[in-house]
Amino acid sequence: MKNNFIKSVLAITAIVGFAACNPMKLERVVDPNNPSLGSVANNASRAQIQFLITGLESRHRDYLFTVTAAFGTFGREIWYFNASDPRFQTDWLGQGGRQPDAAYFGFGATGGAAYATPYQTIRQAIVLRNSVLNTAAVNEQEKKAVTGFAKTIMGYQFMIPANFLYENGIRINVEDPMKPGPFVPYQDALTYIKGILDEGLNDLNAAGTSFPFNLTAGWAGFNTIEGLKRVNRAIAARLAVYRKDWEGALNAANASFMSLAGDLNTGPAHVYGAAPDAFNPLFYVLNANISTVIVVHPSMIADARPGDLRVANKFFQRASAVSVSTDAGTLFGSHQDRRWPTNITPIRFIRNEELVLIKAEAHAQLNQFSQAVQAIDTVRVRAGIGSYTGAQTQAALINEILYQRRYSLWAEPWGHRWIDTRRYDRMNEIPVTLDGGRVFRQFPKPQADLNWNLYVGG
Amino acid sequence: MRKSVQKLVQFMLLLLIPSIGFSQYTVTGKVTGESKQEPVSNVSVVIKGTRIGTVTDAQGQFSIDIPGSKSATLVFSLVGFVSQSVNVSRGAAPLELSMKTDVLNLTEVVVTGLATSVKRSNLANAVTSISAKELTGTTQIQTTDGALYSKVPGANIRMNGGAPGGGMSIQLRGVSSLVGASQPLIILDGVYINNSFQRSGRASITQAGGANQDDGSNRLADINPNDIQNIEVLKGPSAAAIYGTRANAGVIIITTKKGANGKTNISFGQDFGVGSPLRLIGTDNWSVDKINFFFTNPVKRATELVRFQQAQTTGQIFDFEDLFYGNTSALSNTRLSASGGNDKTKFFVGGVLTNEEGIIRRTGFERYSIRANIDHKLSKRISFSINSNFIRSNTDRGFTGNQNNTGASIGYNIAYIPNYYDLRPNSAGLYPDLDYGGPRENPLAVTDKATNNSLVNRFIQSATFNWQIIDRDNSSLKFQMTGGLDFVQNSTLIHLPEDLQFQRAQANPGDVLHGRQEAFNKNFQAALVHNTTFRNINFTTQAGIVRLEFDNSAFFMRGRGLAPGQRNVQQATVQQVEQQFQSKIQEAGIFAQEEVNWDDKVVGTVGIRLDKSTLNGDIDKLYAFPKASLAVNLTNFDFWKFKSISQLKPRVAYGETAGPVGFGATFTPLGGTNTGGLLGSVVSTQIGNTAIRPETAKELEFGLDAGFFNNRVSLEATYYIKRTSNNIQNLNLSPAAGVSSTPSNEAELENKGIELSLGATVVQNKNLRWFSRVMWWKNDVVVTKLGIPSYLTGAFGSGLGTFLIKQGMSPLTIVGTPAVSTGVFTEWGENNPNFTMSWFNTFTFLKHFDFSMMWEWRNGGENINLTSFLTDLGGTTKGWFNDDDKDGIPNGRQRPPAPYNNAGRWVQDASFIKMREVGLYYNVPDASINRIFKGYVNGVRIGASGNNVLLFTKYEGYDPETSTFGAQSISGNVDVAPYPTTRRLFFHININF
Repeated sequence: MKNNFIKSVLAITAIVGFAACNPMKLERVVDPNNPSLGSVANNASRAQIQFLITGLESRHRDYLFTVTAAFGTFGREIWYFNASDPRFQTDWLGQGGRQPDAAYFGFGATGGAAYATPYQTIRQAIVLRNSVLNTAAVNEQEKKAVTGFAKTIMGYQFMIPANFLYENGIRINVEDPMKPGPFVPYQDALTYIKGILDEGLNDLNAAGTSFPFNLTAGWAGFNTIEGLKRVNRAIAARLAVYRKDWEGALNAANASFMSLAGDLNTGPAHVYGAAPDAFNPLFYVLNANISTVIVVHPSMIADARPGDLRVANKFFQRASAVSVSTDAGTLFGSHQDRRWPTNITPIRFIRNEELVLIKAEAHAQLNQFSQAVQAIDTVRVRAGIGSYTGAQTQAALINEILYQRRYSLWAEPWGHRWIDTRRYDRMNEIPVTLDGGRVFRQFPKPQADLNWNLYVGG
Repeated sequence: MRKSVQKLVQFMLLLLIPSIGFSQYTVTGKVTGESKQEPVSNVSVVIKGTRIGTVTDAQGQFSIDIPGSKSATLVFSLVGFVSQSVNVSRGAAPLELSMKTDVLNLTEVVVTGLATSVKRSNLANAVTSISAKELTGTTQIQTTDGALYSKVPGANIRMNGGAPGGGMSIQLRGVSSLVGASQPLIILDGVYINNSFQRSGRASITQAGGANQDDGSNRLADINPNDIQNIEVLKGPSAAAIYGTRANAGVIIITTKKGANGKTNISFGQDFGVGSPLRLIGTDNWSVDKINFFFTNPVKRATELVRFQQAQTTGQIFDFEDLFYGNTSALSNTRLSASGGNDKTKFFVGGVLTNEEGIIRRTGFERYSIRANIDHKLSKRISFSINSNFIRSNTDRGFTGNQNNTGASIGYNIAYIPNYYDLRPNSAGLYPDLDYGGPRENPLAVTDKATNNSLVNRFIQSATFNWQIIDRDNSSLKFQMTGGLDFVQNSTLIHLPEDLQFQRAQANPGDVLHGRQEAFNKNFQAALVHNTTFRNINFTTQAGIVRLEFDNSAFFMRGRGLAPGQRNVQQATVQQVEQQFQSKIQEAGIFAQEEVNWDDKVVGTVGIRLDKSTLNGDIDKLYAFPKASLAVNLTNFDFWKFKSISQLKPRVAYGETAGPVGFGATFTPLGGTNTGGLLGSVVSTQIGNTAIRPETAKELEFGLDAGFFNNRVSLEATYYIKRTSNNIQNLNLSPAAGVSSTPSNEAELENKGIELSLGATVVQNKNLRWFSRVMWWKNDVVVTKLGIPSYLTGAFGSGLGTFLIKQGMSPLTIVGTPAVSTGVFTEWGENNPNFTMSWFNTFTFLKHFDFSMMWEWRNGGENINLTSFLTDLGGTTKGWFNDDDKDGIPNGRQRPPAPYNNAGRWVQDASFIKMREVGLYYNVPDASINRIFKGYVNGVRIGASGNNVLLFTKYEGYDPETSTFGAQSISGNVDVAPYPTTRRLFFHININF
């Protein structure tokens, strides 16, 4: 009897149990940690657009450390000492006959922060652009403001892989991630970039007066439509010089925030902050007893004119030199970067000083020597080394401008020295005797891109 | 009318079942063990061909009623003894039966389906069983994962490092996955337990890199090895198919001890031991010439010469290896358990206190575990069992392995420090700063002040319910339900105090990372098993459902810029959430299996499992995993006349299993980021694949089991081919797309291997018994299809040695500079041994002593030894300044092969011979025990043993078994400043009451 009772109880429990919960039914799991890309593709809300814009600002600064440290090393503006990984010396300096390959140290198979990261920023800009065009929560004028901003950033970021791969060309049509367009030569890529920047300017021209979303404090003084237009033209000026479009460079510089009388240091900046934000990656405690630090290349000290304020303001002489050893020998750094008072100081990514020097270079190339000298003197006087007294020929002026660019644009997040010596075919001027390395002209297409071609091409 | 019908039915029943009440006879007897003295209880006595039976009682006696009057055969069986069949007939005298010990475990039962088991002698797969005696009988192992090495043919078990708290990679039959870790599924008493490597965050704080460089311990380390009754290893899909998804890399089934009918037995055990480093490699001495050569900066050179002279005059030359790794550590293990029961209830209750210090100061492992296993028979048909286990383990693993700049790795750091530099603090307690080429940090300060701790609270509970619905002579139907849960809560703490040299140089000195992780595994299974015998063919049919759920959550908080001496995150200048992550997985499956056994002569099985999972792109799609096997026991046939061959069983088995998709593979998320005080949404660099499906493996296994001379010698030979397909890899997109990858199922691998095991009782007489077993196995793996262009992965790039994944080659191939042509590098070796061999011997002599030892020989296979890379850079490798070819460049700067600046110098042969276990025990004779303890004590056993006792290898590192990246399918052999392996020597005492 007891058995029968137990059996019936069990049977009933089983039936009720199975009816209540079907053990074979699974519930779809939604990502518990993130929103999805699909959620902004159509009818995004204003808040979602705002988050995408801030996301673009965040991505826009991801390239900074590697490009500053690596391109700066290639141009011997700096040395990046890192005792934990000697390859920052041996591989970036090209010691022992090392040559860049498709998966080089510091960049990897994807080209790292000089290739993959700018394209990620471009992807973010494309998603932002598509999202804002596909929603009814924003009006037409506001849409133009956002797309203008996005295209301005895209233009800036496209130049980074273009300068990294140089004559190897880059891909410019990246709308569809599964079907990126083919590689085009360097000058064609630059022409395409000009197109994007000009489109961005057109959009901003139809965008009213105020930017309808929040930007970080890095855009202080530039966060109106007028300010954004000036930044767009500043970037276009930098580009025009690479295209050897001297008239265009002048026009762009004049339409930008360039000012001969104004503070040479003005410009939009990447901002940094304490966690959850990121710290300024170029900040190192002065005089700290560490073996990982960016140091000033000795040639910058040796070649400086006495009294140059740029040396006093940018280079800090350590109480004792830092050194690192590799199997090629030991390197010493007596000076380090003093431009960043704290670890959350913003880093300007394009400044008035550069625009003044672009103006000087454009005038010199157009044989407008007196205007070139006027611009050069603006920089020289502010640097405390007096007016230019050399010859007024194109060759002498270009020499002078390139010299001034070394100090004015030292270790800016771009690698100006490396790019400047290359576009003027003066890479043999870069001093490599101290480290026994070599100067890299450019980098080959990253392995991941070659593999993609193999994968789709068969 | 009713009454007459009743009577008619009764009469018909009487005709149909004539034997009831009329013909039967009784047989009685007594069963003893091999020595004919002690009785054996619980022996099953069954009438052959029926299910009528009984068991022997505590005195070994039995009485059984045999229906009918013809003679019958009684089968006597008990696990651990060789089965016997005896013919009996009416009127026979009481039986006196002596059962022989089953040395080769042929009578043991082995799990095949999810709810049934089969005798080993009928098994069609190569399943390895490890009994409690083999697990902990020779020496005291620290963690369960470490107990399997050398005992499982076909397994590549590798210690990731010597840090206390375990951490082993268990790979069965080669590589199953290119992205996963190829670790097996582990089921403990029916619970799908957590055997993951949980993050501690050490790699973030030391800046080594990702979580795979945390040197995390595996959660299998929590389980008390002394609780285990036996472990079964289903090595590949042919055996594990019925477990479906998650069984690609094999299944390990652990059963804990149960109570037994009889007097309560209390067992107490205490181990005391010492640990010391198994091997140290030595460092180079310095001289004025060497200092002049090595330090090229004249200022630095002068400083070093002064330091050197000072050290010479005071005689203070240090041996840093000894200083850091040479601490003799105390090991202790205390166990108490009680087991007993009666016919209805059986219990096993036990607890353990483990406290083992590590050979590096301030490291160690503590475990507190208490277990209660209860089996109860509610009635003749219904029974249940409950197993509960609570564990608390506390591990300090120290700072070793890779690091970047922070100096928080002892081995990495001391590679650069000459042995005349004094690291010790001065009288004020200040540690000297370092200014050599390596990280700027004092490793002694890190050892003395920094913390790497993990505190785990864990609760494992399982419950099984059995209902024998039908229980007739020739058929039965059983319903079984099992539920289990495993809850792990892990609190981790990594702390680098603010007064360390590197921290002082930071903007916010002092770094602390608190982690809280919870993992909750639940599983439920219900099955029906039907068993029927027709003539002499037995059919076992089973069908059931399984449901699994895995929930995980992790939360890491980091603080930098700490108030002096503080570790609370609220005492930090910068407080940030380092990570918050949750995952939820649900899986469900149906299984069915049919096993046909013809008189133990031919045993065939077919089965299928259908599974679905929320991890897949299509959560409702059922993936099918069939299996089939056949075993033929030639010796059971009548025609078999060769007496010397006692067992000959050719067997063949086929099965399919899957490996699960990683969580999140279907999502395309927008990540969160902060800049300038605003929140941003960034497009992730991984695109989800909404069509992703699990990786599958198909295995075909052929084998032969043979026993000779009454099973005194046994041979097991297996050859298998395991093909995995739909292997998940990240399809790398063009970086210009701004998205780096999407997971895809394209690759295919093929593993082929051989497993051989030969065991024999070589000598068996009154004074000496010697059992010896040799195992030999090898596995080769090849990428048969890649689907995407070949790529390099793992380790630290082609300059130091990396792995090439290319169609037609082994995925374990190590390549590196120099480049043979663009993008093609030189092949330097392979992370795969040519073969592995183990040799186990156990001797019982002078009646009371037993001695065992286990050796392992791993031949071939290469490591990427980057510890040598670091010590060469720092000038501290032993023999650095010697100049073998007398060309003026010391050996440390000129390592072959020429041209001396490529990856070849770091790829080194990792062959070794190790004595894994050795033990000598004395069982105090019964007579002495009775004399001293007067009946209170049943047995006393004392002994001494060692674990990881000897190492013979040409490898230039602490241990060729090492992995700085933890458990990895492909890159699990990279050596970067590991925690040296510990030799553990013990003294034991066990007392049974």
